[in-house]
Amino acid sequence: MTAGARPYYVAVGNEEQVFKASFRQGLSIVLKGPTGCGKTRFVEAMAYDLARPLITVACHDDLTTADLVGRFLLRGGETEWVDGPLTRAVREGAICYLDEVVEARQDTTVVLHPLADHRRQLPIERLGVTLEAAPGFGLVVSYNPGYQSVLKDLKDSTRQRLVAIEFGFPAGEVEEKIVAHEAGVDSDAAARLVAFAHAIRRLETAGLREVASTRVLIAAGRLIAEGLTAQEAARAAIAGALTDDPIVGRGLDEMIDVYLQD
Amino acid sequence: MTDSVDSGAAHDGVRRFGLLASAMAGRPVDVVSAAPGQPAWTDGETMFVDPAISTGDQRCALAVQAALLAAGSLEPDIVRGIGRRTAVAARYLAVEGHRALAQIDELLPPAVRALIDTDVAARSDSPEASLALALSREPVAASPAVFGTIKPRNILAASKKAAAGHHAPRGRGQPELVELPGDAGDDADDVVDVFTSPVGGGGGLGKLLAKMLSMARKLSDGGGPGADTPTHRTRSGQVGGGHAVVSMATAPEEGRVGDASGFSYQEWDIHRRGYRADWCTVQEAEPEPDRSGVPPLPDAHGLHRPLARLGVGLDRCRRQTQGDDIDIDAAVEAHAELRAGSAPGPPSGWGTTDEAVYIDSLRRRRDLSVLLLLDTSGSVGQPSTAGQTVHEQQRAAAAALMVALHGLGDRVALYAFQSQGRSAVRMMPVKRFGDNVSAVVLRRLHGLRPGAYSRLGAAIRHGSAVLKRDGGTARRLLVVLSDGLAFDHGYERAYGAADARRALSEARRQGVGCLCLAVGAGTDTDELRRVFGSAAHATLPRLDQLSATIGPLFRSALQSADVRRRIAKPTTRGVAV
Repeated sequence: MTAGARPYYVAVGNEEQVFKASFRQGLSIVLKGPTGCGKTRFVEAMAYDLARPLITVACHDDLTTADLVGRFLLRGGETEWVDGPLTRAVREGAICYLDEVVEARQDTTVVLHPLADHRRQLPIERLGVTLEAAPGFGLVVSYNPGYQSVLKDLKDSTRQRLVAIEFGFPAGEVEEKIVAHEAGVDSDAAARLVAFAHAIRRLETAGLREVASTRVLIAAGRLIAEGLTAQEAARAAIAGALTDDPIVGRGLDEMIDVYLQD
Repeated sequence: MTDSVDSGAAHDGVRRFGLLASAMAGRPVDVVSAAPGQPAWTDGETMFVDPAISTGDQRCALAVQAALLAAGSLEPDIVRGIGRRTAVAARYLAVEGHRALAQIDELLPPAVRALIDTDVAARSDSPEASLALALSREPVAASPAVFGTIKPRNILAASKKAAAGHHAPRGRGQPELVELPGDAGDDADDVVDVFTSPVGGGGGLGKLLAKMLSMARKLSDGGGPGADTPTHRTRSGQVGGGHAVVSMATAPEEGRVGDASGFSYQEWDIHRRGYRADWCTVQEAEPEPDRSGVPPLPDAHGLHRPLARLGVGLDRCRRQTQGDDIDIDAAVEAHAELRAGSAPGPPSGWGTTDEAVYIDSLRRRRDLSVLLLLDTSGSVGQPSTAGQTVHEQQRAAAAALMVALHGLGDRVALYAFQSQGRSAVRMMPVKRFGDNVSAVVLRRLHGLRPGAYSRLGAAIRHGSAVLKRDGGTARRLLVVLSDGLAFDHGYERAYGAADARRALSEARRQGVGCLCLAVGAGTDTDELRRVFGSAAHATLPRLDQLSATIGPLFRSALQSADVRRRIAKPTTRGVAV
């Protein structure tokens, strides 16, 4: 895991210090922020810095406790226990990253409680054992508070076991640097994409569910690096990704023409 | 109606700049055509731009107006300082325009940045300083034509209009209102001419505003710019918000229980774009049961199947082929049978018998509460397309749904409503959530007589409050059975339609799914769409079509309650505003 180069991540504030301090203190962490702002990349970079393996679980609404902890399978006439990703991380002392944790069923997230507080234990009732977390185990969850369902929210008892790190989109110059580096485009093209994204982010309620993230900017930048014009790339990677609505789409087209014309 | 034609033609007009202008201004604005030859201007909510000039000039003109809005140059206090002096307005614009553009410099497209005269921009550091400069005798170079103009009076009028949100309720105990002349047949007029209502602002200024805003108003009827293109039967709820539903105030939670006189609810006033607090009073009145013989048991057979698969929660299920845990009983049994040699199945029988030995959590538990709202206003007494009255058809639909849902184990309630003005909205609980489906309930249902009017918004608000209070499940659904003619004293069609739409979107925001059914009514789909907005709705000419459409409609209504919503996002860093 730790071989190779450090995943590219530019610190925006004090998030690296907060993460490392929390990790050393054995505290669990929640990363909050909009989609595509770099939460996953941040965890990858931190896992590299701390030299821990990273186990990622993408949560969905049918994720059960057994999917995290493990389950018995039948092999021949025998039962066989198979560890889930969380149990594996606890045994190995890895960083376990649960992406979009609110998507998981609420009865599932409760299994995290004894791990997330001072006990740092994982009771496995099916095996009748309680695992002590190996040194180096870290629990990191992420969620997007601006993008949640009415029916879904983190339980307060879960929230209060976690140290929160808030993410926003990076400041203009930083985002330009990120787009230029990740997409391999020159700083001028990156600057224009970022200016366009900032304009979109000022639209509060115009029929867009989400604003243009750093991720879609990088996607557009990579298309530009392949030789597409800025307008073509933005239509495909940004406008198309943000809306299906023809009227909003036309409004975005208009914005693309204004901000990205050569 | 003209509105569908309008919104169709508008795609190619200046309205396509709406998103661009909103982005630069940092708040939702509409862009509409000004009279040819007129300079661009804005009243704070709408921008007016000459459709005849070149696209580049239009963009620049919008950028200037948007910059003025973003930089706070058009705040009422400043604009009041300009007054009616057009020369001052022009001098102010010549200075403040450059300053405002320079202030949002980073957000502007490259072509617009070229407009900024940094020397002029440097002369002022705030709207107040620009105004002082405009009022002084210092020379100020005239602004370029694309800067457009500032119309102080329009800005002040628009801001006053936006501010007039809440209203003190009128005193209780007002006398019963007399019959109003019906407005059937003039529906073409009352939709276009929404501003001449007795409650809206009249007078010369009001008329002028009405004229200016009429384009923007029409937008909301066909769905906002972010709404799905409305169709006859909408399956999906509205996801993004359009201009039409941009709220100026968050809706207070529930109706307040007043004294013994009933529940108070707010009402949305489309003319003022604000809520009237404690405006409607809802009274719950026991319905008079019908005593003439035994009412027939409704035929709900066809509804069981489509409804059975909806609104279910998780349940532990044994003997599944996959799952979280081993079902020990099943596993032992399978193993014992195998050892005994009695395992049925193909030659490689081991694989098949030991498959179904897991316990899984499946969505099978009923987890749904439904409140049926039955419109019993006078208009449903009309004969329907199928011979019976609309009321009889709606009553049969309500009875069938009630019996089917109750039979499936869902929590279901049925309330009928009618109204006589805002202080007398009557809700008649035919079946409360706790009641069983019995002959008493059916008698009450058959004892309902159509009469009076329908204040749909108040009924929906009360219905969703009851559902939230007594429903008791995670999934909640409000089903409105109505002919879609929302009409009452001081509640004319356009106003009523806007309030009903608003009430439905409030309910959805609180996690209550909404579904509107018009059974047997001759109401045209445009009218229904105006009233029910983006909520799932359907027109059924005959009752027997209910079973075919109810499944998808329920599903879409439940999804709309589960719609992901955007809440205030953190402000973007690094933007100089």
